[in-house]
Amino acid sequence: MIYIHQIASVSPQRELLVASMDEVNESANNVLKVVEPKYEGIPLSVLRRMGKAVRMGVGGALPLIHHLAFPLNGIVIGTANGGMEDCIKFLNQVIEFEEGTLTPTNFVQSTPNAIASQLSMLSANQGYNITHVNRGLAFENALLDVWMLLKENSNHTYLLGGVEEISSYNYSIDYLADWFKKEETSNKVMYDSQTEGTLSGEGSAMFIVNAIPSNAVAKIDALKLMHTSDAAEIAKQLKYFLKEHLAEGETVDLLLSGENGDIRSRHFFEAAEGLLNNSSVARFKHLTGDFATASALALNLACQLIQTNALPAHMIKIDHMKEVKKILIYNQHKLVQHSFILVSKP
Amino acid sequence: MANEELKHTLKEQIIKYLNLLEKTPADIKDDQVLFGEELGLDSIDSVELIVLLEREYGIKIKDPKEGRKVLVDVNTMAEYIVENRTR
Amino acid sequence: MSRIVVTGIGVITALGDSAAANREALKKGQCGISFLDLFPSRYAETLRFGEVKVSNDQLRQKFNVLDKGVTRTSLLAIHAFEEATKNSGLSNEQLTSYDTALIGATTVGGMCLTDELYHDANNDTQGSEYISSYDIGSVNLYMQQRYGIKGIGNTINTACSSSANAIMYGARLIQHGLAKRAIVGGSDSLAKFTINGFNSLQILSPEICRPFDASRQGLNLGEGAAFLVLEKEEDAIGKKIYAIFSGGCNASDAFHPSSLSDEGNGPYLTMSGAMQVAGVTNDQIDFVNAHGTATVNNDEVESKAMLRVFTKVPAFASTKSNTGHTLGGSGAIEAVYSILSIEHQELYPSLHFETAIESTGLTPLLAYVQQPVQHVMSNSFGFGGNCSSLIFSKA
Repeated sequence: MIYIHQIASVSPQRELLVASMDEVNESANNVLKVVEPKYEGIPLSVLRRMGKAVRMGVGGALPLIHHLAFPLNGIVIGTANGGMEDCIKFLNQVIEFEEGTLTPTNFVQSTPNAIASQLSMLSANQGYNITHVNRGLAFENALLDVWMLLKENSNHTYLLGGVEEISSYNYSIDYLADWFKKEETSNKVMYDSQTEGTLSGEGSAMFIVNAIPSNAVAKIDALKLMHTSDAAEIAKQLKYFLKEHLAEGETVDLLLSGENGDIRSRHFFEAAEGLLNNSSVARFKHLTGDFATASALALNLACQLIQTNALPAHMIKIDHMKEVKKILIYNQHKLVQHSFILVSKP
Repeated sequence: MANEELKHTLKEQIIKYLNLLEKTPADIKDDQVLFGEELGLDSIDSVELIVLLEREYGIKIKDPKEGRKVLVDVNTMAEYIVENRTR
Repeated sequence: MSRIVVTGIGVITALGDSAAANREALKKGQCGISFLDLFPSRYAETLRFGEVKVSNDQLRQKFNVLDKGVTRTSLLAIHAFEEATKNSGLSNEQLTSYDTALIGATTVGGMCLTDELYHDANNDTQGSEYISSYDIGSVNLYMQQRYGIKGIGNTINTACSSSANAIMYGARLIQHGLAKRAIVGGSDSLAKFTINGFNSLQILSPEICRPFDASRQGLNLGEGAAFLVLEKEEDAIGKKIYAIFSGGCNASDAFHPSSLSDEGNGPYLTMSGAMQVAGVTNDQIDFVNAHGTATVNNDEVESKAMLRVFTKVPAFASTKSNTGHTLGGSGAIEAVYSILSIEHQELYPSLHFETAIESTGLTPLLAYVQQPVQHVMSNSFGFGGNCSSLIFSKA
């Protein structure tokens, strides 16, 4: 059991607050870019070297660490690519200067573990430190890691996070691989799209978690990671998951769906909705765009929905006007990586 | 002697290569120690400065000891550039 | 808690393409570090590397890899995976069941194709065959697809300690009942990206690396892969047990992005933490497979940390003097070497050492010996302060 105590995010919305988010920032050229805050607490001498992913991750997490009511035992981050911009900047140097004298900063900043390691340095944290990078299940593996850590040490507290940046480079790569829409599509109408591909996005979500129920914002009841391209398999696994983790008479009040406007993935989400026909359905990728660790921002939103019970109209797909006490987040990435996260009111 | 224009350009290049946020050439004095407290530069920056000399002035520094003598302050860097530049 | 045992090992490095071949080379004190024959780089004839002298075509043919877009990092991983799962005797049914986990680790992933990535990322192509293979997760995801593995899949990146953490993660999945068996390891291939990255940090040695020597000048990069099959002892009855995985520890040095703290706080924490988890005292460790990259910083700091941890520093060596530094592969490769020491009750020497570091005075093991080996510690310390230590024990 994981109890979430504090949350923070950096997202394409100025403030990702369900209680006051009536207006939605619109995508441009099929991309939703983050609105970066003024980062407090990162020394300028360190900030000058950071790429966007590291800034979003470190800048999002440091305020949580600095206002911590518990000693922090470790840092667990999920990110598929880490500092992609720095990575390709360095790569460009390698090719353009024909392996000549190169500057190391981009290289050091480009490794995916730079976020977790910078956080350990800036908070002088010598505890457990790890970065999970398994593409669309990078954040879910971070969550699973924390779930095990808290079973091993029930008095520990961890920083858990998911981060991804979009650069023109990884946009190019995923565009060429047909993951993004070819025609200009606004995030405001993305779910109606009948074409292949989604909108690109980025963001970071950070959580302070432990096994202590008092004053928690939300709790995670269960988690499931899957690798399949078969929607029937997803339906079968979901049925089994719900049977295993819902008590007699309990229901899922809200399905928070990772629907992404890609016609190729629609049947997965329909399969999940089909099994949860008494649940309200909400969507979030018009706020974040799609990326490998988008489920981290979904978890941030789920915490807020449970806390405030406010559901912005633009997120609603099907509304059964239920009080939101139990949320199932279902997400999939690139048609083969899937996850269920069951979140409830503590 | 290195002239003022070269030193000014060099300061701009240092700021650009090291991405010194919120600094302008006026903030860096000619005789200010580069690797001291104020600028907060470290060993990775010294490599960045060696790359600067190579890309901007065609100067190759192979020996780290030589680098330490050159990368003291803007004055020492500028003088070295005047004596050794190939472009 | 049940004991976690190793029932399969597989490894490919510059020393050879199987556990047996690697063991023979280690016994003889062979060094696999040389100029480059296969990998094209400006430094092919000036710097030395631990290159696996098997071409991508040969690797593809050997395992009938017909899919497009499979990178060298994946091919090396497949090589080690096939050996490990074969000698653990895993059936196809076991491999594809929901309770088999696959936990990999790599630092370059598909970025070994630096030139192809350059063109695809800068959008001056229609997309090469490698377009979906560049990210770090691509190696494990390809293997998951290829072998139909339905259980938990993960890839870990903690720089040079990546695959040590993959081993720990797999063992924990089993302990928590999230998997019945875990295939764990890591892979990295030579890449212009890493060669030039380490070169820009001025830590590549101009000569063959000399771990723990006073005049060491840096590391040689290498390539390779290793996988281990982990199971609970009670699930492995009747199987050959190579060793017990007694435990490991992960901690952060929290000091600098590319060097270790003078006192070696991270290494101290992981070495002492691993012994605590494994339930052994410092005088029970028979051998340390050191991280020993031969950089000025690592070897002195690791030595100091060993002097802090051990009342009497046990025999130690760095097999990076044989294989070069295989980055994301090194934690798993050196775990396999530690297991070979336990299986065969023998220790392999460190190469190219002449004079001890003045401040620590430590001399690594310099000759092959046969002796009782009960507990071996394997260290891996990565950039960003990501430190890990593992302990393997005789069953």
